[in-house]
Amino acid sequence: MLRQPLSKALALSPCARLAPVTGRRYAQVQAQPEKVEVFIDDKPVYVLPGTTVLQAAALVGVEIPRFCYHERLAVAGNCRMCLVEVEKSPKPVAACAMPVMKGMRVKTTSDLTRKAREGVMEFLLVNHPLDCPICDQGGECDLQDQSMAFGSDKSRFTDIHFSGKRAVEDKDVGPLIKTVMTRCIHCTRCIRFASEVAGIDDLGTTGRGTDMQVGTYVEKMFLSELSGNVIDLCPVGALTSKPYSFAARPWETRRIDSIDVLDPLGSNIVVATRTNEVLRILPRTNEEINEEWLADKSRFACDGLKRQRLVTPMVADSRGNLTPVEWEDAIVAAAQAIRDCPPEKLVAVAGEMADAEALVSLKDLVNRLGGEHVYTEQSFPLAGAGTDLRSSYLFNTKIANVEESDFVLLIGTNVRFEAPLLNARLRKAFIHKETDVALIGPNVDLTYEYMHVGDSASIVKELASGTSNHEVLKRLQSAKRPVLILGADQLKTPEGAALLAYTQELALKLQGKLEDKEWKVLNVLQRNASQVAALDMGYKPGVTADALKNAKVVYLLGADGGQVTRESLPKDCVVIYQGHHGDRGASIADVVFPGAAYTEKRATFVNAEGRPQQTLVAVTPPGKAREDWKIIRALSEVVGAGLPYDTMDEVRERLADVSPTLVCYGEVQDNNYFAQAQALTQALHCYFAIKRRLISPECIPLLYGALSDEGHPVVVLRAALSDPVSM
Amino acid sequence: MCGMKPVCKIVKPLLTTNYYDAHVRVIGLYKAYYRFIPYLLRRFDIPKSEEDCRWKLREMFYKNACVTDIRVIDMLVIKGFMNLKEMTNNWQQKGHVIANWNPSIENKPCDFVGKFLAGVD
Amino acid sequence: MLSSLRSGVQSLWRSSSRALQTSSSLRHDSLFVHRDTPEDNSNTPFEFSPENKQRIDALLAIYPEGHKRGAMIPLLDLAQRQNGGWLPIAAMHKVAEILNLPRMRVYEVATFYTMFIRRPIGKYHVQICTTTPCWLQGSDAVLQAIKDTTGCEVGGNSPCGKFSLSEVECLGACVNAPMMQINDDYYEDLSVEDTKKIIEQLKRDEKPTPGPRSGRYASEPLGGLTSLTEEPKGPGFGLQDALKA
Repeated sequence: MLRQPLSKALALSPCARLAPVTGRRYAQVQAQPEKVEVFIDDKPVYVLPGTTVLQAAALVGVEIPRFCYHERLAVAGNCRMCLVEVEKSPKPVAACAMPVMKGMRVKTTSDLTRKAREGVMEFLLVNHPLDCPICDQGGECDLQDQSMAFGSDKSRFTDIHFSGKRAVEDKDVGPLIKTVMTRCIHCTRCIRFASEVAGIDDLGTTGRGTDMQVGTYVEKMFLSELSGNVIDLCPVGALTSKPYSFAARPWETRRIDSIDVLDPLGSNIVVATRTNEVLRILPRTNEEINEEWLADKSRFACDGLKRQRLVTPMVADSRGNLTPVEWEDAIVAAAQAIRDCPPEKLVAVAGEMADAEALVSLKDLVNRLGGEHVYTEQSFPLAGAGTDLRSSYLFNTKIANVEESDFVLLIGTNVRFEAPLLNARLRKAFIHKETDVALIGPNVDLTYEYMHVGDSASIVKELASGTSNHEVLKRLQSAKRPVLILGADQLKTPEGAALLAYTQELALKLQGKLEDKEWKVLNVLQRNASQVAALDMGYKPGVTADALKNAKVVYLLGADGGQVTRESLPKDCVVIYQGHHGDRGASIADVVFPGAAYTEKRATFVNAEGRPQQTLVAVTPPGKAREDWKIIRALSEVVGAGLPYDTMDEVRERLADVSPTLVCYGEVQDNNYFAQAQALTQALHCYFAIKRRLISPECIPLLYGALSDEGHPVVVLRAALSDPVSM
Repeated sequence: MCGMKPVCKIVKPLLTTNYYDAHVRVIGLYKAYYRFIPYLLRRFDIPKSEEDCRWKLREMFYKNACVTDIRVIDMLVIKGFMNLKEMTNNWQQKGHVIANWNPSIENKPCDFVGKFLAGVD
Repeated sequence: MLSSLRSGVQSLWRSSSRALQTSSSLRHDSLFVHRDTPEDNSNTPFEFSPENKQRIDALLAIYPEGHKRGAMIPLLDLAQRQNGGWLPIAAMHKVAEILNLPRMRVYEVATFYTMFIRRPIGKYHVQICTTTPCWLQGSDAVLQAIKDTTGCEVGGNSPCGKFSLSEVECLGACVNAPMMQINDDYYEDLSVEDTKKIIEQLKRDEKPTPGPRSGRYASEPLGGLTSLTEEPKGPGFGLQDALKA
């Protein structure tokens, strides 16, 4: 329904074109229409026809106040705050909705404009409560700021002295968003976000005139994985964060730029802290990854950083109970165990939130002792090229470029669950760019229409061999910029190798025919933030039962995935756990080292695209917890195999030695060698029949499919949100 | 004209005008402290013996043995008497007195493991 | 004197504390959020009748592909008529399903238009106009007569459940004031007796004759025509001679 032809979409939201996308532009160069000259406050500017007055003004650095207008949403034009005077126009015009015309002279500071703004502000404040002192938006409220800047100091509207202000009952839209609907100024940003970006058409306006209200009409939760963004979008305090309510004022908090590690995309975030406590997490604009959105998991999981933390080193006593000890004792105990262990029986396993510095330290330590057993939890088939070629396990197309694709085939991945912001990109492409999507896997709700090809992995084989007569093959072959996205969770099954091989083959066939030689077809969507860095360093993917069976010492670096259990280990095996939460890993450990969470350390994380980014220290680690690489460095010295780096810079140098791509912060190195990877795979003749259905626990529409309109699984939602950190 | 500089600067004396007088005052201060030591130990509950205190007294005086400027000697003597007065009047507490032995200052760890265990970066 | 002052202050305080607690005046006689009731909840079954299904097909055929949502208002109207004059939420869901729209888009339309009634009402929905011309012509007395005969309060249903009464703004029949609308029919030029008679007839489920009660055909002057009384002139009247063919 929202979907419209390209030209129309562009006409409706020209901002989509103007938004500075730093990724490569693949859009076809159309014959550019001639630019027209307009004058903003007598400053001339040349813009394309169809640009709005507000955008033209932004180009010369004139900011026009607005409430309802937002660059990434459709133009509504209902707040009227952006009224400006245009010469020869009888009335002031709404700058956000008015396209420029040749020779237009806009006056943004004239008396008429000022009076119009003042009038609009007066009307908005007629019904807006003056409860700023108890409003959570206070200090970051557009209405507050703009009424200071553009409003009058008094109101002439005295009716409300007798009738009172409009009162609207609050809506209950779930545990994340707090609503105070009396404060709503009907900008409809939340409605447009829900309908355009999130794809959940649950918000709307009911009633008319002064009785109009924004809400869901029926009692209903706003069940979107991107729901938290309406909190940022709301220009007033109508929608605020429930977990953050009455917690702090924006001027009290310190804001530290950081990186999210709860999904493989590495969204850029701002961590707001006060008195050494993470209060909330906000998105930070990065056009190449998260635009300006943030998934709910990343936004709201920060409360888990305060609970169930490991705050002191612990050693199991004679009865097997973990007892708090000093660092010295814990390190000595661990060193003793490692020293007594033959190197081939030392196994290190890295979990899903391990940073690159800790990963390289741990690998260096194991290698220095003569061991080779360094694993990650998430597995990846080693047949053929395995993880030797970077292009085999990365999201090569890059997230921003997905928008430029004309056909996307998802293989065994529920993108909406695994990487919500990638799904938002796909939806954006589907709506504005005529991209079509097909899915092989369980029929889940991705918030947009897609072609469901089936749920059997053998379809990939048929597509690769060209024997399939499904429509999707024709679409793939005729596509100018096809994209294949393979879910990494499918690769841990025994057929994973074959699935990867066929996908590579299909990708290579498609790639060979493309006119655009730079376009990358093959993508693997990893499931966690540590996997790419670990594979870059040479960690072996997926810890094997064989390695664990013979282990004498197992070093778990935040490995809580459940792959390593007491049952899989010999009786006398010593388990050393290093991590920040008392999770599955710590519960089986003999020695526990408390590490730092992602908000507490400066650390490198590489996202699914292969883009290294660094987190910064927002708060100090709790109790006796220390930065992860330092723990390993200290341990190495006591073990007697001291690592040759003492400072963060030296560790980074070591990282650069291992792989220079790990320290090119913010950049993605291009990866090729698709043909070589495929050739290596083919040489192994690992092809075999795959009949398995693509179902993994994560692909079952557990989260969203099970939630009907009437259901109230708050607990499920909450648990799923905070699962990775607080269990 | 402007190249001419006085070789010695004429300054105003603080208390004494010659080295001998200054020395007498220093000895006087030393004796005053020396005689105060038994009272000091009675007044402040510090884990030191008279012997310790005498050694510390010697040490403090010898620390400034190299000072030859009469004005500086005078000033140090004045400060010494001030300190003594603070002790006799109980203006100083136990902590101030024991601070002369500086028991709490330790060397900062400078190797990686030491720093790690101490939790300092 | 002091005590009187104190009581005066107290009464002032009391009145001001009461003033603090006033809520805003009721702006509209219907709610703009849904409340589940035994009669109206999303589980109450609603299905279009076979005749209405045919009508829906005909209606949908009017709108081009991709713009089927234009049929929303006619469909909601069909549902309301089928359901005895009011629109349950189940019917809105049904319309959303037929048009393949999110439910919220249907709620938006159904709450916007005041002619969609989202609470159970009686078989006869009496809408009495009380805007200025009707009011000048005695709509207050007519309203009182309706209240007396049906037992309704404004915005409510009668005890027997057969009538519902609403006060509405101008329905565009000012020349025939006062007037009321009952379901789809206008009753105009009402007197108190006329009103009572109409209500009594409806109570017996007879259909009163719609239109003016004063003996007028439509909105012509009551005392006969005062202008345009002669025969209409034929074609070509007043034309220049030169133009006459």
